[in-house]
Amino acid sequence: MEEILARIFNLSVIQNTIRTSTPLILAALGGLLTMQADILNIGMDGMILIGAFFGVLGSYFFASSFMGVVFAVLSGIIIGIFFSFMVVKLKADEFIVGIAINIFAGGLTVFLLRSIFGVKGAFSSDQIIAIPRIQMPYLENIEFLNIIFNNHSVTVYLSWILVVLVTIFLYKTPYGMWLRASGEYPEALDTVGVSSQLMKHFSSVMCGVFCGLAGAHLSLGYLTLFSEGMSADRGFIALAAIIFGRSHPVKTFGAALLFGFFDAVGMRLQGVGVPSQFSKAIPYLFTVIALFIIARRHLNKKKNNSMETVS
Amino acid sequence: MIKKDKYKVEYLISLFISIAAALLLGGIIMWFYGKNPILGYKAMFEGAFNSQYRFATTLSKMVPLVLTGLATAVSFRAGIYNIGGEGQLYLGAFAAAYVGITFTSLPGYLGILIAVLLAAAVGAAYAYIPALLKVYYDIDEVITTIMLNSVAIFFTGYLVNYPFATSQGKMGGTDVIAEGYQLSRLVRLSNLNSSIFMVAVIGIMIYYLMEKTTLGYDFKMVGQNKDFADYGGVNSKKRMITAMLISGGLAGIAGAFEVLGTHFRFLQAISPGYYFDGMLIALIVKNNPLGIIFMSFFFAVLKTGSMSMEMATEIPSELVLIIQSVIIFFIAGEAGMKKIIKPLFKRGEEA
Amino acid sequence: MAEELIRFENIRKVFPGVIANDDINLGINKGEIHAIVGENGAGKTTLLKILYGMHKPSSGNIYIKGQKVKIDNPSKAIGMGIGMVHQHFMLIPSFSIAENIVLGYEPRKKNIFTDFKKAEKITKDLREEYGLEVDPAQKVEDVSVGIQQRIEILKVLYHGADILILDEPTAVLTPQETEDLFEVIKSLVKEKNKTVIFITHKLNEVMSISDRVTVMRRGKKLKTMQTKDATKEKIAELMVGREVLLSDLDRDDKKGSVQLEVKNIKARDSRNLRAVKNVSFRVRQGEILGIAGVEGNGQSELIEVIAGLRKLESGKIFINDQDLSNADSAEIRKNGVVHIPEDRLKNGMSKEASIAENLLMGKQYQQQFSHHKIHLDQKRVKKEAEKLIEDFDVRTPSSEVNAGSLSGGNMQKMVIAREFSFESPILLISQPTRGVDIGAIEFIHEEIMKKRNEGCAILLVSAELDEVLRLSDRILTIYEGEITGEFKNDSSLSKQEIGLYMTEKRGERH
Repeated sequence: MEEILARIFNLSVIQNTIRTSTPLILAALGGLLTMQADILNIGMDGMILIGAFFGVLGSYFFASSFMGVVFAVLSGIIIGIFFSFMVVKLKADEFIVGIAINIFAGGLTVFLLRSIFGVKGAFSSDQIIAIPRIQMPYLENIEFLNIIFNNHSVTVYLSWILVVLVTIFLYKTPYGMWLRASGEYPEALDTVGVSSQLMKHFSSVMCGVFCGLAGAHLSLGYLTLFSEGMSADRGFIALAAIIFGRSHPVKTFGAALLFGFFDAVGMRLQGVGVPSQFSKAIPYLFTVIALFIIARRHLNKKKNNSMETVS
Repeated sequence: MIKKDKYKVEYLISLFISIAAALLLGGIIMWFYGKNPILGYKAMFEGAFNSQYRFATTLSKMVPLVLTGLATAVSFRAGIYNIGGEGQLYLGAFAAAYVGITFTSLPGYLGILIAVLLAAAVGAAYAYIPALLKVYYDIDEVITTIMLNSVAIFFTGYLVNYPFATSQGKMGGTDVIAEGYQLSRLVRLSNLNSSIFMVAVIGIMIYYLMEKTTLGYDFKMVGQNKDFADYGGVNSKKRMITAMLISGGLAGIAGAFEVLGTHFRFLQAISPGYYFDGMLIALIVKNNPLGIIFMSFFFAVLKTGSMSMEMATEIPSELVLIIQSVIIFFIAGEAGMKKIIKPLFKRGEEA
Repeated sequence: MAEELIRFENIRKVFPGVIANDDINLGINKGEIHAIVGENGAGKTTLLKILYGMHKPSSGNIYIKGQKVKIDNPSKAIGMGIGMVHQHFMLIPSFSIAENIVLGYEPRKKNIFTDFKKAEKITKDLREEYGLEVDPAQKVEDVSVGIQQRIEILKVLYHGADILILDEPTAVLTPQETEDLFEVIKSLVKEKNKTVIFITHKLNEVMSISDRVTVMRRGKKLKTMQTKDATKEKIAELMVGREVLLSDLDRDDKKGSVQLEVKNIKARDSRNLRAVKNVSFRVRQGEILGIAGVEGNGQSELIEVIAGLRKLESGKIFINDQDLSNADSAEIRKNGVVHIPEDRLKNGMSKEASIAENLLMGKQYQQQFSHHKIHLDQKRVKKEAEKLIEDFDVRTPSSEVNAGSLSGGNMQKMVIAREFSFESPILLISQPTRGVDIGAIEFIHEEIMKKRNEGCAILLVSAELDEVLRLSDRILTIYEGEITGEFKNDSSLSKQEIGLYMTEKRGERH
């Protein structure tokens, strides 16, 4: 029994958790910015996929991972602008557009995969440069910390920094507060002369940027390859993390880590005979249960309030 | 012209423009790809029509689209958004497969009937959960249904890789269902099977339900103005739940037909997103049952034709997905674009 | 010496289908408290939103200090020293009071970060200067409505407003909070030289603190007067009267048994404030009981409670001697009650449905329209719809047209056609001729009278005093959720007297 537990829960699981949760963290950060602006973006999966593809494209043709990331982020910006143009300006239904983006992303990436690279299924090449790892020499001395925190891709460390930056942005700067106001009560923002529409556009573009980064991490982070459908529903898991984390960057970060953990553990569990589907389903199940518990609490609070005011 | 018809005609025009624009864009992409667009589209439409086999394949692709489109239409009509049809489809498919591999000694008709009914029941039951959460706890059904999709897909994936895994190979599927329950093929070598007749019947039933019954009327009113329905004595909560149950049932049946008619077993990736396609179809035609049939046909043509187009011209079949989504983008923004464009025309008239 | 600060010149604002402001000429003097009164839909809020840059006038000009100005958006208005406190507070619930006050004009640290300490100090300074007690750290969602209003006022003062526009400021305040607010307004004007414009329909307040009052009705400005020269009666008359003289209707005089009885009804509104405080009355067969009152005094909630659309807090409702206090709309209807709702677009109809579909609501399960309660007989539905359209004079080319394309008067006739065709003995009628043209008003009044003469028990709620006087047998006046007077509608009754009861509490007569 100890052996089994040892196989499952060891430091490399934590290392894996960090790796697997990075795209979730990035995408969730982007998605929560739109959530704070009261936009539900279920097209994140497609945005991640597009980011992954253009990341590979950029890295391949410029033989530089930096260009790969630039391309991924640019593609995210374009898709983000498109999304907010449709949803905020034209007032199109946000989930029709989101689902259509997912289908579009699937079609576009495979089409380009075949027309540009001439392959089916997946594309890999030595010419694709991976995102560099950071090796911190002073960590090498402490084995424990070394395994967990050292030698990750730039994007991993970037994602942690971004959690902090997004938190500061949302809660410590006027612009972040305007963004939150645009989601909570846009008219109140408009009456003081700040355009709530502009803030919503901004949130959408940032979501595109973050999803682009998430995609870049997927395709350039450890392996350098693009395969069809490689976003693998991470956009939806990110959505679950956002809801679970109540759209707060730090809580969402925690949720994303948790879900990443289950993913990593899931692979181990499979090794000892527990089907991977269980751990894969956990993010989604947990989210539904969490929503239910919160709604119950909210309803009870309302009942108590109205009882108090009866005199 | 009566105002109501005027809106319908305007919308149809927008729809045609959207499709034309998307096809035009597709043609431009083909041209950039170095291929003649006219040849490309010719190959596409020939590939969907010009042989018995090809036409049969097109029709067979319509089946899941019509069912999922109707499932969407019923729920959206009543103002409750069932985005979880994919999961309901998977569970329904598995239920049908379960009947097909467990109760194998019933006469064919009976077995098929039980399989379809069980699939519908399972789909409806699974849709009941988000419906309750929405109606009694005000939990957004869009989110719960999306989450439950994945839960169902993983759950059936587990079932089919472990307890019900087939011994006939390693594919993530169940055993083949009893031969008596396999729906007979209508055209040799194609996937077109007798499910298309059943879908036609179901389509007529749902059309009847939505347009000609008191329940359909209640659904419409609840979806258009819930306050009006409540005021008028309609129990909107009950109606919304009923609509979800029907929607889930239809999605389950779609899954059943995939098992009984196409694959003869449950496979872990049995649906490549049929429900999302069906949902987009229903949304494009604004939940009109007849429109769903036409649009499903059109999408089926695109899907089937894309394969032939690829074989004939080497243009990747995924181009069709791009065309599909561009149509959606155009039609989704239609109302907003009209608001911007119309005043421009009016100003011109006044001058 | 009254110095004119703001001038509205020939202001006209047209929205699709309605003239909200019709050639308004109005001057506001520096340092005065100017009240603008009128019914719902009079155009008061629209006019002041134009001043605040939230609407652009269709034509006309605004002058500030004698200079013509163009106020394109709220930022410009704020720049000119104009601030507006809206009827529905524009506050972000999850933000703190200080954060709300500085929203949009936050003090900065290093230009990128919000200086929260400074915001707190600003709030405290404002609190000192104007005497409005608030705790900067509290979240808006946790404070009372009275305090929320103070926050709005402080916000506007932070923007440097010299001209304060208050839209229905006391609508949600308790009497004590109202008094506090008035002290604040008085000190702002006397000690800080501000100019205050406030919109209200509560005449007590007008008399109590305004220097001048302007009465508006249906988009037009009727009169501006010095408050000391005005009386509540005069103002009320201007507000609710109608120019057209409506003649008497035929009236049978049989009175039957009690059909509807309510006892000690208490109910809350959607903000959880007590709207109906203790209402009791009876309505008999063949009688129209009219409830007269300015909107916002609990009538809406009262009718909603009886119609089963709102839960009552306490009290009893008897329909035909049956206790139906907690019944929902479906059950109420089953017991012979129909309801013409106050807001037809909200719950009286569906804009996207056809007229025939709208006319069917409530009847879809009746034998004549549905076989075995399942199959809808569309032919019969259409035929019945056409009959109702003709009987009730709904002007439309066909019954298949979308109800949303009808004019207001025809929409209302459609709703009435439906409800009246149920042959129910009890009718709840709320604002039956709101937004309806004069010809349709006549028709609707005749139909209501017909029902009365047939022996129905009718409860009528209307903000149009002339309408109440024309139709009712008995009249109750309502003010702040209480019945303040009961009158028999005979020749000895005067409009002025009723108007007075509509605007003050029981026992507050001078």
